[in-house]
Amino acid sequence: MQLKKPKSIRGALATATCALLGSQTPQPAVASESGTNWEFDSALLYYSEKDRVTAVEPVVNARGDLGNDRFINLRFVVDVLSGASANGAVPSDRTQTFSGPSGQKSYTVAPNQTPLDPTFEDTRFAASVLWETPTSENVTSFLGANFSTEADYTSIGVSGTFTYDTNNKNTTYTAGVAFSHDTISPEGGAPDPFTEVPTGLTGGGEDDEGDDDHEGEGGESGETKNVTEFLFGITQIISRQTITQINYSIGQSSGYLTDPYKLLTVVDPVTGDLVPGVDPNNTYRYLYEKRPDTRTRQSLYWKINHQFTDDVVYLTYRYFWDDWDIKSHTVDLRYRYELGQHHYLQPHVRYYQQTAANFYHYFLVDGEPIPQYASADYRLGDMTTTTIGLLYGAQVGKHSEFNFRAEFMKQSGESHPAEAIGKLRNYDLFPDVEAIILQASYNYNF
Amino acid sequence: MVRIYLAFALLLILAQACSWQPVKPWERDLHAAKKMQLDPHPLESYLDEHIYFSKEASSGGAGVGGGGCGCN
Amino acid sequence: MHDPQLQNCEDYWVGRFTAMASPCEVLIDTQDPILAKQLAGIAQQEALRIEHKLSRYRQDNIIHTINTAQGAIVKVDEETAHMLDYAAECYELSDGLFDVTSGVLREVWKFDGSDRIPSPGQVKKVLARIGWNKVHWRSPNIRLRKNMQIDLGGIGKEYSVDRTVILLRDAANVSCLVNFGGDIATTGPRRQGKGWLVGIETPDAVPNTVTASTKVYELQQGALATSGDARRYLLKDGIRYSHILNPRTGWPVQGAPRSVTVIADTCTEAGILATFAMLNGAQAEAFLNQQGVKYWCIRG
Repeated sequence: MQLKKPKSIRGALATATCALLGSQTPQPAVASESGTNWEFDSALLYYSEKDRVTAVEPVVNARGDLGNDRFINLRFVVDVLSGASANGAVPSDRTQTFSGPSGQKSYTVAPNQTPLDPTFEDTRFAASVLWETPTSENVTSFLGANFSTEADYTSIGVSGTFTYDTNNKNTTYTAGVAFSHDTISPEGGAPDPFTEVPTGLTGGGEDDEGDDDHEGEGGESGETKNVTEFLFGITQIISRQTITQINYSIGQSSGYLTDPYKLLTVVDPVTGDLVPGVDPNNTYRYLYEKRPDTRTRQSLYWKINHQFTDDVVYLTYRYFWDDWDIKSHTVDLRYRYELGQHHYLQPHVRYYQQTAANFYHYFLVDGEPIPQYASADYRLGDMTTTTIGLLYGAQVGKHSEFNFRAEFMKQSGESHPAEAIGKLRNYDLFPDVEAIILQASYNYNF
Repeated sequence: MVRIYLAFALLLILAQACSWQPVKPWERDLHAAKKMQLDPHPLESYLDEHIYFSKEASSGGAGVGGGGCGCN
Repeated sequence: MHDPQLQNCEDYWVGRFTAMASPCEVLIDTQDPILAKQLAGIAQQEALRIEHKLSRYRQDNIIHTINTAQGAIVKVDEETAHMLDYAAECYELSDGLFDVTSGVLREVWKFDGSDRIPSPGQVKKVLARIGWNKVHWRSPNIRLRKNMQIDLGGIGKEYSVDRTVILLRDAANVSCLVNFGGDIATTGPRRQGKGWLVGIETPDAVPNTVTASTKVYELQQGALATSGDARRYLLKDGIRYSHILNPRTGWPVQGAPRSVTVIADTCTEAGILATFAMLNGAQAEAFLNQQGVKYWCIRG
């Protein structure tokens, strides 16, 4: 049988087996491989805030089984953004006008409205690849690279995650590291922080010889930002029905962390009214924000999946904290309710609460010294996000599954902070942001 | 406040631990199903992570890497 | 002996028990708990009967009688005779690589992950006591030389699966899947012509990641057996000695896959083909290709 002359012994073996079992010739085996080689996943997200940003985001993901426990995962994303986003200024009873750093793209805000920047439109393309391979007896490596580009932002990154199984594969230790390098090139160049925002109607838009001249303002060909992250985790199978995971992550960002489009209004210390710009071209005084150039963040993340007879509950909790004094809690709960016949409903609730960054200000006060850092970006303030939604999923045939979800998200914060001055007391300085999230997705196994 | 949450989480895990016996390979049938994976809907998670990364000050927790964007 | 533990799953019942040092289960395609209990009982009974019959550790079975006969002739029952005929046939078909007298090699090879490999002298001494060609077998009489032993463990488990399938088929008209520690066979298709879904977890699968590596087969008819256990090996000077021993040399087979799974019409056949494949070492895949069976080898 040391194959110098390969031969089929199957016939003889089958005959011998029949004799052994004392039965008639058995039926021929019928077994079809129901595993898959390629799995294709696609989704379309529609995100729309009331009166603000709208995002349409198709994603496609392909995962290939290359045999020998090697897998490759490819993902492509397009993200089309439109609409308007709060620029950090406070409402006023006067008409307000804002421009980009070199006076381009100006927009006007009616009185008593929360200033929203409608020049938000952008389309982003992103691609990522993840390579999974067993490295040794109990260790698997996941190596990834990703790339993302949009008009004013480019990001490239690599990541490596390594898992080690032990305890009869009931326990898995995970360690991960990721680096990314981002380039931020806002149109007109990144503005110098705490400089005045051009607001005159005659803001120098027509005078520009071209944006190239201004790229030097914020730095040669754009700003950069580097992010390094580490993750350590343990996954444990607790019982036949339960699995849990705890992760600790730490990351540091350094470089340009400021948002080049966000600003703060300077207001009169008594009336809370707008004040004239120091630059005679500027009607009112707004300053570009400034954030620190480093940020260290950490999180503790806990997840548990538990299966009842057929239904499954998914619960996660994350506690996050950083050196900007932001602390947050996130609780996410989903319940998969099986309807039988291969379809299911999955209600979802998410509750998020964060405390403000230590340089978050609703506005700056004229006459007071400008703080070291300041931002009025509402996303850095004391805030609560509540999301509630429902997903419906169904398996169609042997190969495919689709699901559809609709969710409602609401963000709210302190609308009337103690520090509001004069007229500002009459305004909602942290209006609720409400959004609907719709997603349809389709999964196909070849 | 934080400590209370952490203690609670730990307690839940330890409470389960009392009934910890190593789970035998043939008892892991349920874990092979897609709905019991740690992340049964990875695209949904990716999209959600992107939304909340853009709209809140916190991010991550479940994994590392995945790319940046100009949304925050 | 405890009764089988019964569990109701979505649309079938499972009976579980331990036999042949393995977790055993029978999946019964019915909603009737009484029928499930009856069939699980039949399976357990047959598994234990064969375990008792073939166990090396008992002193009241035919194996013990044969192995302690000290050169005397032993007359065996019909079932044992069939098994010995089968062992003889397998010896011929494998050109001597499959040999039920090779069990004594475990006296010098202890596969515990350590680096203690036997000396050539030790192996040579044991080899003298191995060789089916030295056995006098003419049904129903068998005579071993002194100090030789036979071990039918290599076919026992798969055989008990097939025997159980036969009994279950006779007992009731419902489809059953018999799974004795990974050796599997089904009595026939389930309701609506469907098959039983059998997931083969690879030795290095990472549990419960998105990448859980399980090959799933839908088995409507036939059997499946796996040979190989990646945990049993010795490691010395960077060389990994698999636990598949060549009875002609007394040393482990070179280049054997870590695990071989074969699908065939009966479990016994699947098991033997998987074993033969392992014995073929680096040629495992070539051998299995020749036999025209569905198989799956894991290497590396």
